[in-house]
Amino acid sequence: MNRITRRDFLRISAGIAVASLLPRFLFSTEKEEITGPVIGVAHGEKSKLVKSAVDAIGGIDKFIKEGDKVCIKPNISFAANVDCGATTSPEVIKQVVELCLDAGASKVIILDHTIQEAKLCVEKSRVKEAIIDKKRVSLLTLTKERQFTESKVTQGRELKSIKIAKAILSADKLINIPTAKSHSATGVSLGIKNLMGLIWDRGYLHRVNLHRAIAELATVIKPDLTIIDATKALTSGGPGGPGKTVKLNIVIAGADVVAVDSFAVGITQWYDKSFTGKNVKYIVEASKLGLGEIDTGKMQIIKVEV
Amino acid sequence: MAAKKLKRDHVRRWLIQIFFFLLFILFFIQTKYGLDVNFQNIFFRFDPLILVVISIANRTVVTAALLSILIIVGTLIFGRFFCGFICPMGTTIDIFDSVIRSKKERKFSLKNYKYLILLFLVVSALVGSSFLHFFDPLSILERSFTLILYPIISYFIGIFTALAPAVYTETIIVLIVFAIILCLGFIAPRFWCRNLCPLGGFFALLSKFSLFKTSFIEGCNECGICEGVCPTGAINFEEAKIDSAECIDCLRCQHECPQSVIRYRMNISIVPFDIKRRQFITSIGAGLAAAPLSRFLIHPRLFGRLIRPPGSIPEADFLNVCIHCGKCMKVCPTNGLQPCIFEAGINGLWTPRLVSVIGGCEKNCNMCGQVCPTSAIRNLPLEEKTYVKIGTAVIDRNRCIAWEQDKVCLICDEACSYNAISSLNETVRGTTLLRPFVDEKICTGCGLCEARCPIEGPAAIQVFPIGEERQRTGSYITEEKKRLRACEKKLEDIPSGFILDNK
Repeated sequence: MNRITRRDFLRISAGIAVASLLPRFLFSTEKEEITGPVIGVAHGEKSKLVKSAVDAIGGIDKFIKEGDKVCIKPNISFAANVDCGATTSPEVIKQVVELCLDAGASKVIILDHTIQEAKLCVEKSRVKEAIIDKKRVSLLTLTKERQFTESKVTQGRELKSIKIAKAILSADKLINIPTAKSHSATGVSLGIKNLMGLIWDRGYLHRVNLHRAIAELATVIKPDLTIIDATKALTSGGPGGPGKTVKLNIVIAGADVVAVDSFAVGITQWYDKSFTGKNVKYIVEASKLGLGEIDTGKMQIIKVEV
Repeated sequence: MAAKKLKRDHVRRWLIQIFFFLLFILFFIQTKYGLDVNFQNIFFRFDPLILVVISIANRTVVTAALLSILIIVGTLIFGRFFCGFICPMGTTIDIFDSVIRSKKERKFSLKNYKYLILLFLVVSALVGSSFLHFFDPLSILERSFTLILYPIISYFIGIFTALAPAVYTETIIVLIVFAIILCLGFIAPRFWCRNLCPLGGFFALLSKFSLFKTSFIEGCNECGICEGVCPTGAINFEEAKIDSAECIDCLRCQHECPQSVIRYRMNISIVPFDIKRRQFITSIGAGLAAAPLSRFLIHPRLFGRLIRPPGSIPEADFLNVCIHCGKCMKVCPTNGLQPCIFEAGINGLWTPRLVSVIGGCEKNCNMCGQVCPTSAIRNLPLEEKTYVKIGTAVIDRNRCIAWEQDKVCLICDEACSYNAISSLNETVRGTTLLRPFVDEKICTGCGLCEARCPIEGPAAIQVFPIGEERQRTGSYITEEKKRLRACEKKLEDIPSGFILDNK
């Protein structure tokens, strides 16, 4: 039996210490310190974007379990043509639905409280193309107050309580699929802003401090996964258009809605100006409320080209 | 044998009636957003009263109603078959009559009144005002269905589905008129059809000359059974006479007659009139007086804003051509089209007006023009419709919370489908913030902003009929409008949702 002598012990310890410190001097990288949220960014061929982006952050199975009842919240609030970029494109919604079904979701509900007339929004956004399995996939337009239920906002300063859609409360998972677009009041409309389509009285938020109120909303409604459709971005004239539409062919996925939003601000110019997540008031407010990471430098960004 | 035959004939007529009634209901149900096939107003196209009265009032032939010539020709050959077999109003009255089991037969007749009403309509149309909507049975029925039945049904459907129930601002007068017409059945069955209906009057007039008539042949023993079974009181058995103007070709008498002396056959003869001169003159006088009276009794400008649906022809023509059937209100997906009360004067009762507080005019919808049976609202292509200016939005800065309370509201900007509202930095009482401005050259008056304005009470942005365009013909698309719309929104400040780095 070999006994480790004190000298051996010291030698080995020193060796390990040196070995562990060496890379710092050799490569001088700080990558290992990044422990922030993971974000998947897919760029390229439209039909594969969603799956690639979700796979980059660990695959859909990480979010959806067998038998889950899933709510999907696209932005179909305006009766605008799909080319305009004011609504989530039907291809993206469809891909998300496919992913959920593949992961074994027992039920998928696509829902939105539309701003313009629901019938027209459903028709113009072509959201029905995403109903690929009539037994398991359904579309729910929230048009009535009784589809909502009062919910307390414990962290609220602007909002004390808010009526949110009952459907998401009874579901196991919520997937948030906004479209990337500009917004006349909030600057951009991305993941957190998209949650406004799950409440009854949007007007109230405009009557108080809008940016803070949107952030507070995200303390009540917490999507399990956010997938931003930036296949095309309406970079001015939003949220309803018409405006300048830029083709980007990007889809961004992540569990941290603040991080995803913050990253998405930087992918294109808005109103012909460059911004970052830290320039958008509601994202800043959300980060102050501790809802997620706003600093893109602290995120693990996995870019995929398809 | 006779009883069996009677039963079969009776059933046959009922089946035909029910068929057309169901067809009418089907077209009523199908009057909804999303159908491109233009068939929902087919009943009105077969209404000769529309052809005659509106063509006279508007001094132009209503081409959409030219199909009704078929009915006119048919009536000249076969008699008043429309009333007995097709008219959905007649069927509605029959159903109601059978429910209340009205069998009473009063020995008085107002049957001349339908001619007098017809005369009144024609005279007032000659003077330049159409009152057709008050008396045309199809128009009354469609309107009653839309404004009374539809809100009730949609309320119950809405309990189980996400459908928002329809609401209409004026239903009580419609309800009263409809109830009166039905309750006339307590006096005698088909009271309305026999005595008051001007469409019935028109057919009665024609069937006085009709080729085929029901009439007696030799051998009547005056048993009186025929007079008892006649649903319209057309038979006088003592004189062995059948008034072909009242007969609706139901053939009950022919099958009920034990002697088989009543026949439906070719019979060229003309039934004389017996209208009193005094009645005749009164009717003409009423027609002459009604047109000017209806314009001055209630001045249109007394009551609120009147925004007509896009593509409406000029107001004077509109009031004549619109038959107030309510199809446009039924089809409007936002429920924004509402019946006027007195906003358009007395004769504008039940004409459509856009009430933007309830719902705006969606950019991608031109259904009201598609379903209008008389083209009072022109059937414009979708793109052209978006160029029609029906009014202009005006911001009340004293009530707008972006102007008065420095709130980041700007929902009107968000709601505008035409980019007619710009949010610009403006300093008010020392605070520089984005405030909404309306570009009246681009604004079409669709009212989507008014519908969404979040403040309590009347909206702080309201549409007024400023600069509204009403054309009888010609395109609404002009080069100027195209240019304005194509140019990029120059007036757009960076939204206040951004924190600007001071570079």
